[in-house]
Amino acid sequence: MPQLTYLEAIRQGISEEMERDPAVFCLGEDIGIYGGAFKVTDGFIDRFGPERVIDTPIAESAIVGAAFGAALTGMRPVAEFQFMDFIGCAFNQIVNMVAKAHYRWGAPAPLVIRGPSGGNVHGGPFHSQNPEMYFVHTPGLKVVCPATAYDAKGLIKASIRDNNPVIFFEHKYLYRRIKDEVPSEDYIVPLGKARVAREGSDLSIITYAAMVHVAMEAAEILAKDGIDAEIVDLRTVSPLDRQSIANTVRKTNKVILLHEDVHTGGLAGEIAAIINEEVFDDLDGPIVRITAQDSPVPFSPPQEQYFLPKVSDVVREARRLKEY
Amino acid sequence: MKKKAKKNSPRNSSNGRDRRLSESTLANQRTYTIADYRLEKPSFKLRQVCKDDATCYEIEGDLTAPVSPIRESKYLDKKQCLEIYRWMLLNRKMETALENLYKQGKVVGGVYFGLGQEACSCASAYALRPDDWMGPMIRNQGSLLVRGFTARDIMMQYMAKAGSPTKGRDASSHFGDIEKRNVAAPISTLGDLIPVLAGVALGARLQGRNIAVMTYIGDGGQSTGVTYEGLNFAAVQNLGVVLFVENNLWGYSTPADMQFRVKDLAERAIAYGIPGIIVDGTDAGQVYDAAHEACERARRGEGPTLIEAKMMRMKGHAIHDAADYVPKPLFEYWRKRDPITRFANYLVKAKKWLTPSENEKLIADVDRELEADRDFAVASPMPEPESAAGGVYCEQGCHEIKPKYGTPQTKAATQRRPTRMEAAVHLK
Repeated sequence: MPQLTYLEAIRQGISEEMERDPAVFCLGEDIGIYGGAFKVTDGFIDRFGPERVIDTPIAESAIVGAAFGAALTGMRPVAEFQFMDFIGCAFNQIVNMVAKAHYRWGAPAPLVIRGPSGGNVHGGPFHSQNPEMYFVHTPGLKVVCPATAYDAKGLIKASIRDNNPVIFFEHKYLYRRIKDEVPSEDYIVPLGKARVAREGSDLSIITYAAMVHVAMEAAEILAKDGIDAEIVDLRTVSPLDRQSIANTVRKTNKVILLHEDVHTGGLAGEIAAIINEEVFDDLDGPIVRITAQDSPVPFSPPQEQYFLPKVSDVVREARRLKEY
Repeated sequence: MKKKAKKNSPRNSSNGRDRRLSESTLANQRTYTIADYRLEKPSFKLRQVCKDDATCYEIEGDLTAPVSPIRESKYLDKKQCLEIYRWMLLNRKMETALENLYKQGKVVGGVYFGLGQEACSCASAYALRPDDWMGPMIRNQGSLLVRGFTARDIMMQYMAKAGSPTKGRDASSHFGDIEKRNVAAPISTLGDLIPVLAGVALGARLQGRNIAVMTYIGDGGQSTGVTYEGLNFAAVQNLGVVLFVENNLWGYSTPADMQFRVKDLAERAIAYGIPGIIVDGTDAGQVYDAAHEACERARRGEGPTLIEAKMMRMKGHAIHDAADYVPKPLFEYWRKRDPITRFANYLVKAKKWLTPSENEKLIADVDRELEADRDFAVASPMPEPESAAGGVYCEQGCHEIKPKYGTPQTKAATQRRPTRMEAAVHLK
């Protein structure tokens, strides 16, 4: 099986869907001849033509609005945001126009809004954010945050085929850093299904996106201490896979919730509530949250390191939790 | 010294009084035209004034001009004129019925009126063909009727009934139909339908069809950023958006003069690089002609058109609002320009396409239709509480997604060149 980076896997996923289904097209800023700021759509304009690979004005509300309008005629638009930090510009279109359409007037909105999110690349407050929770909070949207190249390809293909609006967060730190064996034959990874990234028995770390790799590194260190951590990669953060969350807690009875997003109102709070509702009696210790601090993402590398959850944080908290 | 300083003040030089300057720049002077279909051009201004310690609006200008005749349509025949007239009657009478239902406590929430704007809603939507699309604003209930929704549908929306187009889930003109009537549902925030309708035209074009997509924005709503984003996108992509800017002089309680500095909102078209037209929004003939020509342009693939329709909102923002901030003489001026009275006079007196007794019969027909619809709507049940659940997502089997106008055209696969891997940005 060929080895592909996370970015190449997303590119291959979109391009396979464009070949498979003529209703799929791309629009966004600088995605045509330039191939996108991160080159995800590089070469698309030559292969699929400028009709299906549309460079738009710098107008995020227009991008989402136009994608929704095209979806109303049965197209499957894939809209690129140059950085997911800029999604605030299109907030009203996403949350009020698109997300509510099916509930209000029965109009399906089969569209994907995708782009790079996340920090650890010294992008500063406006090129490093993890704005997924605004959309997790909004009924009518699906929110996807892949952690591996295999999942990134399978999930982007599933997102394009889904009949609902999907916000697809690509972690930019992972774009060129990780490689997986990615099948060249057609496959999808279903939305709403988590995976166990590492089997373990002493405690569970429930996480997603780039933090999956932080958790994996921590688990290797913990293994040397004799602590066997299980890692659950959520893959889709809305709708959440309640079953997989409950299963891992039933198995290990101790849980750490880890994410790169800020603390207050982050996904960890929601998962803690689910654990409380589903498997409270199975807990043998407090639910531990490891998150970024409640602040904008700072620019300078030492400050950004301070801001982000680290392997050492996970190791420390896991050792503490094991003692319960 | 004093005098000279005054002469060189910016105000004087910007008026082009410096002859040398204007001659040297004349060659580069750009000229633009805005087509104006109106037969009369109201000229008055609103000012905020303080009177007896209270701040209010005062009107300045000539309000005594006689009402002009209806402009002869270049395209409409007798049958079409009579159809538009009937839609306008239905539009008006349905809203009167809603006002009564509200007073009887049968309406949930408020009622939004298009009183004085019926010609703009009905004659514009009448220019659309079945394959075209329309996205209404709150007052375009007439446009919804023309597109095939019934007065019953709209009344049930206002009464939040189980049988309303949104099954009780949303109010007023907030509904649509992607299957048959090709109507995109509005949301409460203003201008958001403009990029959506542009996207509808884009979707159709990818499927090999140029269609006209009509939507509306007010003098207040056009202040929003998404209005610019949407129309600019349509202009750049040459998409067949027909944008009616309904300048009804009031954005809730704020006069148009406090929303923008240009003289006519049609001038905005210049900045988008698209045609701009002004029509008298109380003249169904003018509204239709401008809409028809813009739709034809759209179907030829020549891109968007901005049409400013000038008229007056003859009630408050919604039923709760008595509009006592509007100077009375302004109401009187526009009452004389009532779109339905004007069009009735045109059909009965000028064209003699309708005898007075035929007119009475037509009005009675519309009344009868409305009565039946109103009775049905009133008698129909409220939704079950549990019907609030479900439908947030499009589940398996609930909709088949397929291109509406045919298989999208694709380019034959070309030789793949090796992709570039380096990120263009410095964030690695």
